[in-house]
Amino acid sequence: MKKIIFVVLCLIALPVVAALDGTQILQKVDRNLEPESYETYRKLIDIQPDGSKKEYVLYTLKKGRDKLVALFMSPASDKGRATLRIGDNMWLYIPDVGRPLRITSLQSVTGSVFNNADILRVDYSAEYNVESVEEQKDAHLLSLKAKTGEVAYDKLKMWVDKQMLLPVTIEAFAASGLLIKTLRFKDVKDFGGGIKRPATLETDSPLYKGYKSVMLWSALKKSTFADEVFTLNYLPRVQELRK
Amino acid sequence: MSLSRVSWARRCAPLLLLAAASHAPAAEEYSFDAAEFDKKPFELGGYLQFKQEAFTLNRSGAFYRLGTAGQTQREGLDRSSGTVELIGKLRQGIGTFDFRTHSDVQRDQLAHDSNNLLYEGAYSIRPDPGVTIEAGKRTLRWGKGYAWNPIGFVERAKDPNDPELSREGLVMANGDFIYNREGPLQTVAFTPVLLPVGKDVNSDFGAAGHLNPAAKLYLLYRDTDIDFAWQGRGSRPGRFGVDFSRNLSSNFEVHGEWARIRRFSRPVTDGAGRVATEVYNATSYLLGLRYLTEKDTTYIAEYYRNGTGYSEPEARQFYQLVDTAFAQLQQTGSSALLPKVLALSQGSYGRPNAGKDYLYLRAQQKDALGIVYFQPSITAMMNLQDRSYQLTPELLYTGVKNTELRLRLLMLQGTGQSDFGEKQNSRKLELHARYYF
Repeated sequence: MKKIIFVVLCLIALPVVAALDGTQILQKVDRNLEPESYETYRKLIDIQPDGSKKEYVLYTLKKGRDKLVALFMSPASDKGRATLRIGDNMWLYIPDVGRPLRITSLQSVTGSVFNNADILRVDYSAEYNVESVEEQKDAHLLSLKAKTGEVAYDKLKMWVDKQMLLPVTIEAFAASGLLIKTLRFKDVKDFGGGIKRPATLETDSPLYKGYKSVMLWSALKKSTFADEVFTLNYLPRVQELRK
Repeated sequence: MSLSRVSWARRCAPLLLLAAASHAPAAEEYSFDAAEFDKKPFELGGYLQFKQEAFTLNRSGAFYRLGTAGQTQREGLDRSSGTVELIGKLRQGIGTFDFRTHSDVQRDQLAHDSNNLLYEGAYSIRPDPGVTIEAGKRTLRWGKGYAWNPIGFVERAKDPNDPELSREGLVMANGDFIYNREGPLQTVAFTPVLLPVGKDVNSDFGAAGHLNPAAKLYLLYRDTDIDFAWQGRGSRPGRFGVDFSRNLSSNFEVHGEWARIRRFSRPVTDGAGRVATEVYNATSYLLGLRYLTEKDTTYIAEYYRNGTGYSEPEARQFYQLVDTAFAQLQQTGSSALLPKVLALSQGSYGRPNAGKDYLYLRAQQKDALGIVYFQPSITAMMNLQDRSYQLTPELLYTGVKNTELRLRLLMLQGTGQSDFGEKQNSRKLELHARYYF
């Protein structure tokens, strides 16, 4: 009888144990989006209200939770520019200037709706704490709060697909409560190596009415790099790491 | 409507529908394949630039009179110039040869000139991500200042009017040794340099016959960039310095530089042309900030103390000497003083920013007037001792792929015997169109 009671209690408790808490969901989202250390190519497309476009291609490397380098491959006017992020520190290396300049998360190195925090995004769980989780029909709705004042967005509302544990929509808010932008993840694609994630991210902002920016991923794969790659001195040489 | 028109409309209806559909606001499909960006053994790029400049000459200015002595006097000058810079890379194994060439042609009403220069050309090897060794012609840029760099010990001077302009490098051998770790001290990087100076190599760096050692140690310590720089005595007096840069908040950066040159020597003249050589330990420093507002306006402010520069009374003596030399020429026909004045003007008195205290202020607005990629800015540079200044409004547009259009007006203002009041020009209107390929 005791055994039966124990089994019943275990069965009752199982959903509670199996259910992930908000922090675990966010950590899963981070790992499902990208391996902790990876390399990829991204295309950024800025679309103006008249339909005209400007495109950028970036070669991106990430190591650990908060080290990231993005190198501009195209267009020719921006080729060779490189950005480095270590935690809250961000720098931009412009070949003609020759010296990395400190930049901020709210600026945009491309001039698009995506700002530097989006382009040089590190793990969400490195920057945000989960304040609450609301269960919806197909999604967990995570309310995230920035860990420090250095983070670009004070709060995020993240709708996470329950099945795939991948973000679907993110709304980014300023400390004043103002909606800064909405990010929409689309086109889940198998990149190989166990990486299956959205290949397209679209964003628009009430602050830039009529403008839209799109980010596309290609050749995303798990990679490891030496720590020395994520330093100011290495920025002029990042392009040599490409295969 | 006639029958024929109706049948024409019916025949064309599918085409019209197709055309309409192609302009309908449908969900757009995007695709991206990175294969075209694979690393290639040889890469070539660069830019092509056309520049038109209109100078309003400052006929009462000391540097105009010295530059045009004995020539036809003019009110203005129009100059057209074309520039091509080629940037390339050749890779083999762990070695890379990269280069940047600079060619320009310029023509104005007085002269026609052309230059072909190798700005950079160096071979580097990287046996390990933390180790780079290279030799050749290289532009090293040390320091954190935007307009000036007191610790830029092994580079040609930056033009504060165009700080982002590419510059010719110096022939050298240098290394880069990077060490990264966890903890408050995240990065240590050491950059030793050996810079030879001979009759045909780096001859404008200083006295020939020296192999000049220099080094920089970079630290990223508690989110602050710190550099210690040193250049040993040789072609130039020995010097050392330090810089730092740090974000106080996500939109507010502060930076600074400090440099000391041992036994720096410079000529100092009085109004009668008696020149003494002053030798002293010169200390220069710079303090600056960069601030970004919520409306995407960037402010840059820098104060520069130029320890090698001339104070207002010292500069005034030089301008008095210029006046005396021309008065002597006019009254007695004797040009005895002119060669001496010319030599001084081509030396340290004629340097850009030869004064002692400067203030640099710049405000630039991203996407102004709701036009994306349109960036107007205004820059002010002031000699704080004589209160003369230069004001530069500028319009920059980069909305057309690989093209940059820049229009700017440099306006110089100052009384007689002041820094910006005695320059060769009082105004310069400049338009450049640059195409990157």
